Amino acid sequence: MSYASIVDCRGLMHQASTQYGTLLVGLGNPILGDDGVGWRVVEAVEAQLNGAEIDVAYLSLGGLSLMEQLIGYERVIIVDSIQTEGGAVGDVYQFDLNALPEPSTGHSTAAHDTSLQTALAIGRKLNADLPSDIQIVAIETQPHFDFSDALTPVVALAIPRATAMVMSLLTKYNGDGTT
Amino acid sequence: MATRRITIDPITRLEGHGKIEIFLDEEGDVANTYFQIPELRGFERFCIGRPVEEMPLLTNRICGVCPEAHHMAAAKAGDAVYHVDPPSAAKKLRELLYMGFYFTDHTTHFYALGGPDFVMGPDAPVAERNILGVIHKVGLEIGGKVIEARRSGHRVVEMLGARKVHPATSVPGGVLKGLTESERVEIERIARWAIEFAQFSLGLFNDMVLGNQQYVDLILGDIYTHRTYYMGLVDAQNRVNFYDGKVSIVDPDGKRVGKYAPHEYRDWIAEHVEPWTYLKFPYLKKVGWKGFVDGNESGVYMATPLSRLNAADGMATPLAQEHYEQFYATLGGKPVHQRLATHWARLIELLYSAERMLELATDPEIISDNIRTVPTATPTEGVGTVEAPRGTLTHHYWTDERGILTKVNLIVGTTNNYAPISMSIKKAAQSLIKKGTVVNAGLLNMVEMAFRAYDPCFGCATHSLPGQMPLQVTIRDVDGEVMDVLRQYC
Repeated sequence: MSYASIVDCRGLMHQASTQYGTLLVGLGNPILGDDGVGWRVVEAVEAQLNGAEIDVAYLSLGGLSLMEQLIGYERVIIVDSIQTEGGAVGDVYQFDLNALPEPSTGHSTAAHDTSLQTALAIGRKLNADLPSDIQIVAIETQPHFDFSDALTPVVALAIPRATAMVMSLLTKYNGDGTT
Repeated sequence: MATRRITIDPITRLEGHGKIEIFLDEEGDVANTYFQIPELRGFERFCIGRPVEEMPLLTNRICGVCPEAHHMAAAKAGDAVYHVDPPSAAKKLRELLYMGFYFTDHTTHFYALGGPDFVMGPDAPVAERNILGVIHKVGLEIGGKVIEARRSGHRVVEMLGARKVHPATSVPGGVLKGLTESERVEIERIARWAIEFAQFSLGLFNDMVLGNQQYVDLILGDIYTHRTYYMGLVDAQNRVNFYDGKVSIVDPDGKRVGKYAPHEYRDWIAEHVEPWTYLKFPYLKKVGWKGFVDGNESGVYMATPLSRLNAADGMATPLAQEHYEQFYATLGGKPVHQRLATHWARLIELLYSAERMLELATDPEIISDNIRTVPTATPTEGVGTVEAPRGTLTHHYWTDERGILTKVNLIVGTTNNYAPISMSIKKAAQSLIKKGTVVNAGLLNMVEMAFRAYDPCFGCATHSLPGQMPLQVTIRDVDGEVMDVLRQYC
């Protein structure tokens, strides 16, 4: 059975080629304590960019929603919280999204949605112009169950290290941190 | 009696997760089940001391899944706190935004979560039982349509809410942003496409599910059936409404036992506490808590798309009404108790949201610039209720005379369904896991299907469940030793 002709599909998935350079994403919930550390790191990076032209986004959703935000970018850096087996709170990691099994970081698997990896596979299958280079900078946290707009001290102390990792990636991409 | 334990534990890197524990007796039958949810704490404390007009922005950060629903409930509670009635155009603009959200949300559930069980089959390997599998089976174009549907819904939210996903425009007394004629034209075009897409989705359901006798038997069978009360917001003609109206309650025989205005919710809803979970179980106060049991004497109620259809007399748009009539004609009349029929009900609501989007987009008043009544009364206390996609959502705020919050109470969509979800899991487990049954991933998915129909999201009550439901199943013998471990998505 084919449903191909019933509804015309247009728009988003038919962008011809990469339009933008680098997207920096802070992922998390800014009112859920350490869950919002990705936002804080990206804010710190923004303060050091000195007008460099990269796109910055503060997002809370993973899955299809996150994938849709990445379309058109050549490369993406996602900053998020993470819980790993044996990890110490405040540890900072940097890795390629492809290096991870599903589900990976705190928000790359989404409620009411699908994982970022599956969403990217869907997007690519539909010829969406998605980045081939997706780097994750993640900060080890405890699971978050208390609403707060403050970070715990250990996680707050990790912000400069995570910020430096993001800046290093940006520098590697284009020497001076611009795209 | 000694028991052995099966744990269905979503292993997630998210902030919280649910866990199902199935206790078996020595005979290998299900003795009991527990669906446990870690509760997020401190939202009330976080809100106290803040201006009530911040709540539409703050509450849509409670959870990433239905921020628009919290935005709307908070906006309506803010109206009530300030004793202000927004202009008609403002109410229509809010409702139009909400239709864009509903269209996106229901689309995502059907194609990414609920649909794969039917399109791919409940026994399909987990690696195929997802939206990628649906694309493979139905055709690549379906993926494009789903993404286009989501893009369209997000676009409507963005135009009216000034941001994608987390709207920012509702304030006490109305909205801050109107609609230009060019935006209206764009939404009208989106709405016409959305109606086509919703009809296509219902056609897909008809062909893939209703055309398959095995699935029809599964839907109509006893495994996924419970006789409970039902709840849903209705308009003055008792038709389904997502944004406004009174909350209708019908009993397990389909008889309406009453309708309450949002501010009367505490006369109708009470909460039961169990020692094994942080989350409370709402129930109908006038009926009373009799345990996790079906029937007219049990105050357990459900609030889902199926509930909304059961609690109403019909749909307010013509095409959705046609499908509403077909739904009950096919399933044997009202009310429908079979939980898996919720997937069909959700698609009827998808069509309603698209039709209502078109109605509002072509309403001459929608481009009015009379979009806010500035509050002048002293703020006190107020309640706002909307239908979130996964259940009736109520926000109740108390403030001082400056509008500073002194107390907050929320009853969120899925929490309404905590008791019926728990009952559905137990019944499915008891029906499917019997003496000598080999517990495998396919069978556990059949148990999982019992709660997937509810579209459970404890994002508000906890934060998030993983969309793909990573599972780890640990089977223990009577001494607690691990006999086997089954995993998916982890």
